[in-house]
Amino acid sequence: MQASRARLFKEYKEVQREKTADPDIQLVCDDSNIFKWTALIKGPSETPYDGGVFQLAFSVPEQYPLQPPQVRFLTKIFHPNVHFKTGEICLDILKNAWSPAWTLQSVCRAIIALMAHPEPDSPLNCDSGNLLRSGDIRGFQSMARMYTRLAAMPKKG
Amino acid sequence: MAIEDMYGRSDEEYYNGGYDDEYEDDYDHDPEPESDDDLSCGKAPSCRVIRKESLLAAQKEDLQRVVDLLSLKVHHARTLLIHYQWDVDKVFAIFVERGKEKLYAEAGVTLEEKAEKPASDPSIEVTCEICFEDFPAEQTTLMECDHRFCNDCWTEYFIVKINDGKSRRITCMAQKCKTICDEGKIRDLVTAKDPNLAEKFNRFILESYIEDNKRVKWCPSVPHCGNAIRVEDDEYCEVECACGKQFCFNCLCELHAPCSCVMWDLWLKKCDDEAPTVTWLSEKTKHCPKCHKIVEKDGGCNLVQCICGQPFCWLCGEATGLEHTWNSISGHTCGRYKESHLKSEDSVEDYWRLTHYYRRYKAHIDSLKIEASESKPKILDKVCSLEAKEFLQLKDFSWAMSGFYRLALSRRVVANSYPFAYHYFGDLFANEITKEERGIKQNLFEDQQQQLETNIERLSMFLEEPFANYPEDKLMETRMKIITLSTVTDDLCKKLYECIDSDLLVPLQQTTHTIARYRSKGVEKASEL
Ligand SMILES: [Zn+2]
Ligand SMILES: [Zn+2]
Ligand SMILES: [Zn+2]
Ligand SMILES: [Zn+2]
Ligand SMILES: [Zn+2]
Ligand SMILES: [Zn+2]
Ligand SMILES: [Zn+2]
Repeated sequence: MQASRARLFKEYKEVQREKTADPDIQLVCDDSNIFKWTALIKGPSETPYDGGVFQLAFSVPEQYPLQPPQVRFLTKIFHPNVHFKTGEICLDILKNAWSPAWTLQSVCRAIIALMAHPEPDSPLNCDSGNLLRSGDIRGFQSMARMYTRLAAMPKKG
Repeated sequence: MAIEDMYGRSDEEYYNGGYDDEYEDDYDHDPEPESDDDLSCGKAPSCRVIRKESLLAAQKEDLQRVVDLLSLKVHHARTLLIHYQWDVDKVFAIFVERGKEKLYAEAGVTLEEKAEKPASDPSIEVTCEICFEDFPAEQTTLMECDHRFCNDCWTEYFIVKINDGKSRRITCMAQKCKTICDEGKIRDLVTAKDPNLAEKFNRFILESYIEDNKRVKWCPSVPHCGNAIRVEDDEYCEVECACGKQFCFNCLCELHAPCSCVMWDLWLKKCDDEAPTVTWLSEKTKHCPKCHKIVEKDGGCNLVQCICGQPFCWLCGEATGLEHTWNSISGHTCGRYKESHLKSEDSVEDYWRLTHYYRRYKAHIDSLKIEASESKPKILDKVCSLEAKEFLQLKDFSWAMSGFYRLALSRRVVANSYPFAYHYFGDLFANEITKEERGIKQNLFEDQQQQLETNIERLSMFLEEPFANYPEDKLMETRMKIITLSTVTDDLCKKLYECIDSDLLVPLQQTTHTIARYRSKGVEKASEL
C-alpha cells in the first residue's frame, strides 16, 4: 500500500515536470484518489484514429507496480484489440507480460503503439478483427475512421 | 478326482499340442532364464526412483552435459534445461541447427559479454526505475542483461513471483526484457528478507526437474511418498515406485495394459465403482404415474406398462394409452417419443454391451483381490508345511508362489482386456474398420482371450488344492501342473498382447493408443539412482 502510493506520487510529480515532453499524452490523477487516473491520448497519425482524442481510465491496484493497472477506453473506438462495448484492452503488457518497470505514462505509449499496430489474432472486437484478418483493410479503416469522427472528435458547430 | 478328470481332458484343447513336452522339459532342468529382452532390461534399469535426497544428484548429469558442451555456468544450464523441458538432446539439436544465439535468446539466457564492469564506486547514487528513489550502487543489483534496480524492488518482485508459483522462470523487471534472473541473486536477496521463502524457491527450482520433464513424474501414491520416477526411454510403461505403488507412467492411473491410456480414461468415465448400478437405476427404473411403484424398463420400446396396468411414456413419465407405434403413442404428443426412440435403442444396446464387459472385468478384478487377500496366505502356509516335511526328491517349493504371482499378473491382463475389447469392438474405431473386419478381428481376439481365461482359472484351481497334504507322487503332479500352467498362461498373455498390437492396433495406423509392452516378470521396480 505504502509502496504503491509512493510510486504513484513519484509518477505524478514526473508527469507534472514533463508535461510538455510527450504532447500526445495527457495524464491526470483524480483529485481525491491517487489510484484513479485518466488519460487523453491522441490517435497516431497515418491511422484511422488520426485527429481523434481518446480518453482512457486507469484503475491502479494496491500491489502496483507489482501488479498491472486496469486500463480501458472511455471513448468508443473500433479496434480489434479493444472491446467495443466495455473498452477493455487486450494487451500483453497489461497481463502476463507486465513488469514493474512500466509506468502509467509508458503504458499510454504502448496503447498508442497498439492503435497503430493492431493484432487481429487476439481480437476483443471480432468484427474488426475479422475485417482485418480477411484482408479487408479498406473496410476496417472506414469503420474505424467513422467511429473516430463520431466519438473522438470535438463536435463542430 | 472329478476335477482332475475335467481338467485332464481339456489339456489338449488348451495346451495347443506340443506345449506339454516342451515345457515339462524346460522345467525338469533348472528354470531357464526368460526371454532375451527380459535379460537386457535386467542389465540396464529402464526406470529410476528419485527421492528428495537424490533430486539434486538426478539432475546433475543433465546439467553437467550442458555445462560441458556449451561451457556455461550451472545456473545458465539450468535455465536452458528448464526452458527446453530437460531435453538435453533438444538443447544440443537447437545449438547445432540454429546456433547459440537463438538457443540462448529463446530460453532467456543472457551472458555477460563484458567481464563484470569494474565495480563502480559503491557510493555513487543511482536511480531505481521502479520506485524512482536514489540509492548508492551497493544497494542495487545488476542482472546479466545489464538492468539495475534497487534491492528492495527486486526482492518484492521476486517474492510475488515465487508466491505465484513462477520460481522457475522469473524474468528481469525491465520492460520487455526476457532475461531469466540469476537464481543465485534471487536466492541471496530473498534469503535476506524471508529465509523460508528462499527455501521454497530452492525446492521449486530443484523440482523443475520433475515438473517440467517429460521423462520424470511424481509417484501418484496417496498419501504422497515424496518420490518421483524417471523412465529412460519409453513413456508408455508400467512402473513400481520404491513405496510399492504400481502405476502407468504415462497417465498415472492404476495398471491398465493391455488397454490403452485413452481407452482406460474413457472406461473409468463410463463406469466408476457404482456407475453400472447408478446407470441401471436411472435408466432402468421410473415411478408409475398412477401408483408410484418402481417400473423397470427392459427393452427398447418407450411405452412401458406398470404392473398396475397403467401404461406411460418412458421419456416424459406421463400416463398414456396403450396404442402406439415405433414413432408415436396415440393421443400423446410430448414430442420426445419419436425423436429419442432410436437414440434410446442405441443407449440400451450400449448399456448391455457395457454391462457385459464390465461384469467380466469386475469378476476378474474381484478374483484378483480375493486371491491376494485369501489365497496368498494359504499358499504361503502350504509352502511352510511342505518345507517342514521330508521328501525324497522335492526340496524346492518356490513354484507355488511363482504360480501365484503368475496368476495375479495374468488376471490383471485378462481383466484389462475387457475394457480394451469394449472400446475396440465398440464405436471407437467405427470409422476405421468395417463391420466384417471387426467381426473377424473380434473372433481372433476372443479366441485368445478365452484360452487365457480358461488357463487362468485352471491355474487358480490347482493353487487352491490342499497339496500340502499330498503324498510325494501326487504333489509332483500338482507341481508339474502349476509350473506348466504358469508357463502357458505367461505365453498366452504375450500372445494376447501381440494380437492386440499387431492384429488390432497396428493396422489402424494410429498413435493414440500405445500399450505398455508385456513383461513376463511383471511391473518393473524402479531402481535407486
Ligand atoms: Zn527500487
Ligand atoms: Zn533485463
Ligand atoms: Zn511412491
Ligand atoms: Zn496409462
Ligand atoms: Zn402403477
Ligand atoms: Zn412398443
Ligand atoms: Zn411423453
